[in-house]
Amino acid sequence: MKSLVTIREGSAAHWAIRIVTAVLLVAILLWVPTKGSASLITTSIEAMTLMSAAMALNLVLGYTGQISIGHSAFLGIGAYTTGIMVSRWGFSPWVTFPVAFGVAFFVGVLVSFPAARIKGVYLALVTLALGLVFPQMLTWKRFSWLTGGGSGLPLSCPATSATRTCAGVAKTTTGFDIGPAQKGQLQTFKIFGHDFFGDLRRLDNKSAFWYWIALSVVVVIYLACRGVVKSRVGRSLIAIRDNETAAAVMGVNLVRTKAFVFGLSAGLCALPGCVVAIKTGGVSPEGILSLTVLGAITFLIAMVIGGAGSLWGPILGSTLYVFVTDKTGSWADDDKIPGLIRPLFGWSKISPADGIFALLLIILMFVAPRGIAGLWKQYSPLVVRVLPRPAGTGGTPEPLATVSATETTNEGEPQ
Amino acid sequence: MDLFLQRVIDGISQGSVYALIALGLVIIYRGTGHLNFAQGEMALFSTYCVYQFGEWGVPVWIALVLGMGVGFVLGSITEVTLVRPISKKSPFAVFIVTLGLFRFLNWLDGAIWGNQQLPTTAVGSKQGRFPSLFPREPEDHFKILGATIRWERVGILALVLGISLLLYLLFNFTKFGLAMRAVASNAESAKLTGIRTHIVLMVSWGLAAAIGAIGGVVMGGLNGTVNLGLMFGIFIYGSAAATLGGFDSPVGAVVGGMIIGLVENLASGYIDWVGQELKLGVALLVIVGVLLVKPSGLFGTPKVERV
Repeated sequence: MKSLVTIREGSAAHWAIRIVTAVLLVAILLWVPTKGSASLITTSIEAMTLMSAAMALNLVLGYTGQISIGHSAFLGIGAYTTGIMVSRWGFSPWVTFPVAFGVAFFVGVLVSFPAARIKGVYLALVTLALGLVFPQMLTWKRFSWLTGGGSGLPLSCPATSATRTCAGVAKTTTGFDIGPAQKGQLQTFKIFGHDFFGDLRRLDNKSAFWYWIALSVVVVIYLACRGVVKSRVGRSLIAIRDNETAAAVMGVNLVRTKAFVFGLSAGLCALPGCVVAIKTGGVSPEGILSLTVLGAITFLIAMVIGGAGSLWGPILGSTLYVFVTDKTGSWADDDKIPGLIRPLFGWSKISPADGIFALLLIILMFVAPRGIAGLWKQYSPLVVRVLPRPAGTGGTPEPLATVSATETTNEGEPQ
Repeated sequence: MDLFLQRVIDGISQGSVYALIALGLVIIYRGTGHLNFAQGEMALFSTYCVYQFGEWGVPVWIALVLGMGVGFVLGSITEVTLVRPISKKSPFAVFIVTLGLFRFLNWLDGAIWGNQQLPTTAVGSKQGRFPSLFPREPEDHFKILGATIRWERVGILALVLGISLLLYLLFNFTKFGLAMRAVASNAESAKLTGIRTHIVLMVSWGLAAAIGAIGGVVMGGLNGTVNLGLMFGIFIYGSAAATLGGFDSPVGAVVGGMIIGLVENLASGYIDWVGQELKLGVALLVIVGVLLVKPSGLFGTPKVERV
């Protein structure tokens, strides 16, 4: 395969590409909350929630090869932890993030024990049932003292704690109330004259603030996934995916590794749940679509389209999914469809997004099982090829052969 | 006692619907070793078609046969165009494709018929309710030992048992059934003996989808309506039934379905805290329990893994 430009890893040109990419990325991320429209911010938050969940799922499915269609339940656990802690006990929403992680981690470890024995599509069946049961558990009358039953919980201070300060939660609003701003006074954070955080006092302007919360969650999850995948644990996950028996023979502790990855994935998946609860301003079984089993299928579709078993795959897939879904959301109404493609979708009584992505998923499985990230990896060398650093010049005592070996297997197709 | 008897009959009859979905899953599993996640949605598509035929004034039993025909064609096409080429890649790819098909068919139903409950006057349905295969007026029942047994329930049970008998005859006393069993036992050897395995597999998928269609129509008749979420729960119950009975045993599918229906009805009827909300939890427990204790199910053959 010929490529237009060939550069060495770590050369000046390679660093230039890296820096330009990073600057572009940061510029986009800053542009959205400051200059973007309100609907763009909302859509971006949705995309970031989805990519957080998809990245968490990727750990279990993409890297370890354990099929889960029940991750919506973990997201729901996160959302309900926030809902219950804030509205029943008056905690600050900040506190709920680590607690949600802990609770979901525990549940994830519990799920991993049967999962250690149940394999392949059977595990898919078990997790699918888990995903279906979870929303029903929330409406269970025995739990309604905690979960609020079918109507759910609003994210506001408990009525009984009128005397308490209700740590950091504004009684009337749907989310955060940080800082000691006086009533009627607008509280803004201006950096270089740009209002990055929006007006925290006004509801319609809170989205900029939520945006940063959602983005922080994405960054935390990305770093966690990257840390795990590039480590010894990550290599054992990939070994399990590629051949479970061989991995066990080579000394991978299957039960412990699966328990860890399920717990971590569940815990990480709970974090976007907290974001959704805060942004929605309450939790209910029907109010949050991502905690139903359709949500879990959406995580999976976004992840596989982007590229299972790659770090950037879920991010690409989720962005594409949310923006296309948003764009086509009103297409049930024929007049909203752009004239050129109206004959293609005009007959559909609902938005065509689900159908488009289902078809895309099926087609991608045939032509590019590693998703968009896989296509990028395959075809980007046609333009710029980055030659890996030759062994021995890295200056590290570690043999580089193992490093490059993991680099290649990291992006492998899950079996 | 009378209530107990009634719950037993209702449970078994309800379970027979699960048995139909489970039968479809088992037929496909025996043929290709795949779990078809789109089984419920294939049935749902046929169910919507039956509704449409009803709108056009086709009598319900003829509509059922036509709906089964639609299911058969859908299943066969799926096997030939999607499952067969992709199964060369990996089981994971097959899973993703059936899941994609699940989502696609669900969307297609919504795109054609809309996402509201049908029939409804809002879209000008001529039928008052989804056509039922059996008489279901309030007086259509009989009493035995004080229990009120509805003819509809008995009819469904008889229908499912009849279909099971037909399948039994097909598997055990026809040449085609022999071919199906040969493919299930060892596809490679079956091919070497001159069996056209590709036709057998195609027909298996078609047959599974057609049987699922009956399940969908029966369910629609019981509920009186059809909507996009009709088959989610049924699919899980059906998979629980197939797991319990053993994924490669048609007898197991029928028995498993009836046990699941029975347990579900008795548990929600007698154990106060189970209620309506945790009925699906029963199915989940059954799946997990069976897979942990006896993965081959009640009637299945244990799987030996080659390293």
